[in-house]
Amino acid sequence: MIEKDILTLGIESSCDETSAAVLRGGRQLLSNIISTQIPVHQKFGGVVPEIASRKHIVNVMPVIDEALSRANVGLGDINQIAVTYGPGLVGALLVGVSVAKSLSYALDIPLIGVNHLEGHIFANFLSYPDLEPPFVALVVSGGHTALVHVKGYGHFEMMGQTRDDAAGEAFDKVARVMGLPYPGGPQIDKLAKDGNPDAIDFPRALSKSRGNYEFSFSGLKSAVLNYLNSMEMKHQTIVKADVAASFQKAVTEVLVDKAIDALSETGLDKLVLAGGVAANSSLEGRLKHAATEHGVKFYFPGLALCTDNAAMIACRGYYQSLTGKYSALYLNAEPGLSLESRMD
Amino acid sequence: MLILAIDTATSVSSIAVADDSKIIAEITVDNRLTHSETLVPHIEAAMKISEKSKDALDGIAVSIGPGSFTGLRIGLGTAKGLSYALKCPIVGVPTLEALAYHFPVPGVYTAAFADAQKGNVYFGLYSFKEGNIIEVKPVQVLPFAEAVSYCGTLDAPVMMAGDIFRKKSAKKVSLPENCDKAPSNLLLPRAANVALLGMRMLSEGKKGNVMDMEPIYIRKSEAEVLWDRRHPETAAKSEPSSIMIDAISGERGVRND
Repeated sequence: MIEKDILTLGIESSCDETSAAVLRGGRQLLSNIISTQIPVHQKFGGVVPEIASRKHIVNVMPVIDEALSRANVGLGDINQIAVTYGPGLVGALLVGVSVAKSLSYALDIPLIGVNHLEGHIFANFLSYPDLEPPFVALVVSGGHTALVHVKGYGHFEMMGQTRDDAAGEAFDKVARVMGLPYPGGPQIDKLAKDGNPDAIDFPRALSKSRGNYEFSFSGLKSAVLNYLNSMEMKHQTIVKADVAASFQKAVTEVLVDKAIDALSETGLDKLVLAGGVAANSSLEGRLKHAATEHGVKFYFPGLALCTDNAAMIACRGYYQSLTGKYSALYLNAEPGLSLESRMD
Repeated sequence: MLILAIDTATSVSSIAVADDSKIIAEITVDNRLTHSETLVPHIEAAMKISEKSKDALDGIAVSIGPGSFTGLRIGLGTAKGLSYALKCPIVGVPTLEALAYHFPVPGVYTAAFADAQKGNVYFGLYSFKEGNIIEVKPVQVLPFAEAVSYCGTLDAPVMMAGDIFRKKSAKKVSLPENCDKAPSNLLLPRAANVALLGMRMLSEGKKGNVMDMEPIYIRKSEAEVLWDRRHPETAAKSEPSSIMIDAISGERGVRND
């Protein structure tokens, strides 16, 4: 089998999307099917883990079946299976992991357990066929915020991550307090378009310490909540659009500053944005602008590949298989898996 | 008929390989909760010990609930993958009925329990007649003590089994005179029972569909129970469902089956 012809079936079920994808080689995406549960969780104001798991167990086979059919391949043509084993909701992860393991056993093909966060970075390889390491990746998702120096396909160096809340968490909490429907991130993004980003001066934690790539968003979150409370106490009108715009500016400014800082330290000229919060138009816009200003090429996987999807898992799995990083059938879900330095 | 049976509804993880004449192999482990890690390796081992090729399987039987939500999904997810890849039928066997199959004794009742948390149990009552398990009372959720005292009112001896007896709280409930707790070898589910009942169901044409099968939960999730309590007016409304999207073409609502 020539490497470029390897067919990888990717499976993802870490949160509220059930997804399956078929990838040829490392870059040629044949299908990417996502079953999203957003409408199901909306009334609860957030993802309910037990309900998510219940949906996954029903949706997982139709999603796989559809991915194979849209890719126009049979299950017997698949050479290996890549599955998200963490981080995420344990019950949700277990559905994908259980199905992937039994498929791997039944078909006698290798299993590859993939770190969901590494998957987000690899989404960019699907959008940019010519992108190659090394580069700096800014990973911004619901549960994680990190800067990673990607030295090779299996060689990552963590430059820094969040000390407390992830950027996505701050977005969700602020949105909830402002009474915006779930999921909060896109709602704030939408609202911020009509607001003044300089209306309120929210704090930017750790932004002035050069060479420190850690993030902290819990202070910012509290500042927004305090602002809303104090305005309410004083019976003053809250201009939600201004709050959203100012909050969003505070988050994105820190992310942009640190990313640019990381690029200059590493001397690299490629900046890659990854993770669900990458879908935030202001973050994408500011990063792009700052990158251009600093003569750096900016990569962004596009909306469909930013959200949780199995294509990125298949892609990460493919590159993992090249270095022989397969998993045993004992693979378990690891809800608390983190993004770490590694050298395969 | 060669069948592979799986029961991960409780703290027991059990796999059996059986055909029409016998249980060929069974791996039953009641140690720690590592079903997600060990289930597929145990399936691999059971098939190897049986000296059977997985391609020779005529069916997959899985204990379908009620029981531990996560345990049921590990079993069903694994069973679905096997059924889909090996192109053989799948069948969901009611967990408590399979447990009651430990006691094929006419003239007595079997009370099968599964832990439903917070002192509650899933409770099914069965009897045995002419080679068949008869469901005397459909499975319901109620406090363990209440189920036990109901059993005390029955007109025949009652054999009781289930993981609830592993709970400290269950030890405080004293059993009525006509009731007895099963010995530990028959207290918890075993896949051999699932295999036998599964074979029977398959021969009766009772197949499941991997595309829409789900565990028998009996109970809604806590979040839904709370929601319904706070919003009684919306309880009867139909629920929104997931939307399937082709992320390459952007087409939404593909395959609404």
